[in-house]
Amino acid sequence: MKKIFAVAFFVVSIAPSLCAQTKPPGAAKVWRTPWGDPDLQGSWSNAPTTPLQRPAKYEGREFLTSEERREQDQQTAIGTDKRGAIGSDQDVNDAYNAFWWERGWSDGRTSLIYDPPDGRIPPLSEAGQRRLAELNRVNRSNEGFTSNETYNGPEELSLYTRCIIRAPLPRVPTGYDNNYEIVQAPGYVAIFQEQMHETRVIPLDNRAHLVAGVRQWLGDSRGHWEGNTLVVETTNFSDHASFEGSTKNMRLIERWTRLADDRIDYRFTVSDPETWTRPWSAAIPWTKTGTLYEYACHEDNYALYGILAGAREQEKQKQ
Amino acid sequence: MAILFAASISIAMQTPAYRAPRLKGTMRPDLNGLWQALNEANWDVEPHEAHEAQPGPAQFGALFAVPGGPGIVEGNEIPYQPWALAKKKENFDNRFNRVKVDDVRLEPLDPEGKCYLPGVPRATYMPFPFQIIQGNNRIIIAYGFANASRIIYLDTKEPAVTDSYMGWSVGRWEGDTLVVDVTGLNDKTWFDRAGNFHSDALHVVERYTPRSPDVLWYEATIEDSKVFTRPWKMSFPVYRRLDRSAQMLEFKCVPFAEEFIYGHLRKETNK
Repeated sequence: MKKIFAVAFFVVSIAPSLCAQTKPPGAAKVWRTPWGDPDLQGSWSNAPTTPLQRPAKYEGREFLTSEERREQDQQTAIGTDKRGAIGSDQDVNDAYNAFWWERGWSDGRTSLIYDPPDGRIPPLSEAGQRRLAELNRVNRSNEGFTSNETYNGPEELSLYTRCIIRAPLPRVPTGYDNNYEIVQAPGYVAIFQEQMHETRVIPLDNRAHLVAGVRQWLGDSRGHWEGNTLVVETTNFSDHASFEGSTKNMRLIERWTRLADDRIDYRFTVSDPETWTRPWSAAIPWTKTGTLYEYACHEDNYALYGILAGAREQEKQKQ
Repeated sequence: MAILFAASISIAMQTPAYRAPRLKGTMRPDLNGLWQALNEANWDVEPHEAHEAQPGPAQFGALFAVPGGPGIVEGNEIPYQPWALAKKKENFDNRFNRVKVDDVRLEPLDPEGKCYLPGVPRATYMPFPFQIIQGNNRIIIAYGFANASRIIYLDTKEPAVTDSYMGWSVGRWEGDTLVVDVTGLNDKTWFDRAGNFHSDALHVVERYTPRSPDVLWYEATIEDSKVFTRPWKMSFPVYRRLDRSAQMLEFKCVPFAEEFIYGHLRKETNK
């Protein structure tokens, strides 16, 4: 009886805003660890090409038509295998073919954001807009060959170029290595993030968060189970990393629910009154993937070395 | 003296009578927890005296001075081939000096100073906690230094497909001992701050044996025919962190290492 209720609840509460192709789980399969927790363990990827925000052309629509979806997947296939003339800037500077990319496909929706219902990030405060503009400027400055940046020192480059973090939490799909390994133990869930090789060790014992003065790049996470769903709250973010313009006071709630042997429903809600007029939420399918390998970025960061050395060389030539 | 030493080794190697609690729902011992080594091996895995901070005490006084330690190497000495012993000294001499490491980079050599992933077995005895998250099929070890992590596969015996800093770890149980075969290690990490090193032929076999509720005995057999004359072993206990609010915090050290690595590429006026 309890099981039937759980499934009914699941279908009503989670399925409606999920991608069109997801079949509601027919069998009431429950994934359990040997010690009885819901089992999310394995290697997962969150790489769909569905954009975070709904493009204007899809205004008022949550799902793509099947033609639109086919078209988007076709563009993805072309876009990831576009090589410039051998030896040209595009060939040398860009990730030139599908070997570098690890993109998934459209999940059938027009945006990952499902709340607000328009699929867009809510309006930003003025300070939030300034933070986002600065973030975008620094991220763009990585494309060094077209910019007028000074590159006086490493701290002028983006966190990714410096190999400090791939991106702040919550993680949304990027170009490649969108891979995560989940291992559970009694009282803990560990999520190893391929980029940048860090593990989120999440205690499930209701302990208090770190004191407010202690901040971390990836914040401080605490989890618990709600039925079969892992719910994780993360606070204590740092001023050095901003998600879409957020401050360090952003509060992040993430939920993982196993839907199938090869699929997890992941969704997040972020709130930060200093940044957005209201909280907002997105859903990203996690699908089973293959083996994760080490992403050692900083250790062979010839890009940063070359950017700085190049900038000093240019200065010399100008003198 | 020698007899005493041999006796203590043989005690260390005896199979302990302690039987660890099982991972709930399985027949395997439960190694979960936040652990930390308490020794001086990160400065030098071999026996060494205390010495002053480098480059000197003028700037920092007794801060950063090196604590002496009896070492963790069985037999005390790493069996280097002659050329390799010379290279170890060269490593140490250039640990803070900017030297040409390849056609592009001019860098000090100490990999810890550069915030490189620390490799295996070094990650185990750095002065940072590490957390074992032991599931039923795989184990993640999350280390404090550089937020390094590794996955230990209990569910595959596939070999390493490429070299990496933390290597490729395949685990199995021998009684209550977790035995981890680590291959695919690259040649870019050191064993300590003393310049002790290895090549990309390194093969490490680790053994984690529960000794008591709060102690694991750690042993690593180090094999590298390019650098050493024979395989050698290190061993030491790791202790459970019992602090009331024990938690591994981030140590993302890249920003701390940028001046060390890129300082000479900073714009002059900005210095």
